[in-house]
Amino acid sequence: MISSLPEQTKTPAPAGVFTLVITGAPYSSQAPQTALRFARAALAANKRIDRVFLYGDGVHLASSLSAPPSDELNLCDAWSVFLTENHIAGVACIASALRRGLVDESEMQRYQLTASNLRAPFEIAGLGEWVDSMATGSRVLYFHKGA
Amino acid sequence: MSTLIIIDQPPYGSWEGREALDMAFSLAAFDQPVSLLFCGAGVNWLRKGQDAAEVQQKSIERNLAAAPVFGVEALLADRSACDQYGLDDAALLDHVTITDLGKELTGRFDHVAFAG
Repeated sequence: MISSLPEQTKTPAPAGVFTLVITGAPYSSQAPQTALRFARAALAANKRIDRVFLYGDGVHLASSLSAPPSDELNLCDAWSVFLTENHIAGVACIASALRRGLVDESEMQRYQLTASNLRAPFEIAGLGEWVDSMATGSRVLYFHKGA
Repeated sequence: MSTLIIIDQPPYGSWEGREALDMAFSLAAFDQPVSLLFCGAGVNWLRKGQDAAEVQQKSIERNLAAAPVFGVEALLADRSACDQYGLDDAALLDHVTITDLGKELTGRFDHVAFAG
């Protein structure tokens, strides 16, 4: 048993700002749950998370139609509550989202679809959001399906 | 701020590689230095003469050939993976540089990201 872990007092990221990129889908990978545990630990250590970017299969995390049994962890809801309570931006990549059937009202109208299913507070935007994190010095961490 | 995006999965089986390519093109579009490294089965992205019509996909050969035009600084192929898949300079797309994947290479970049 590890009696004590060294306390993290420094981070390579300027000012301790993280961006989390989640590419693994909920329920078919552990990526969203691992990322959520990391995010909670980061805030508890007084680090900041400027953005959570959903890419590839990770966009399924932003679905408002996910309805697991009530005695199971609802990952989509857990992430939604976490982002809202901590005022962190949640962004789903538009190209990944449209491919996988995740749309907001605007895209629903644009493509004449029958419904929208983007869960608040997530928004749909382009890869420019991720580029912004890369270019502004945030430490960008990736949570893939193997995570 | 320079970025190396590593693709280690074969083409056409999933969209993860294509989406990694989109990430590289986005960085380049915003004038951020970016290079692509293909390793493992990912080196098969770099074969000449791809025809994806039978699997009803668009060949990525044209996208990759255009990468330098869009500002991607280098297309790199891991030497040992090329050996494993029987790829030499003649079998690879133009503008591909064969290199060795390791700390010396990744250490040249500020960010290193894997395709999902």
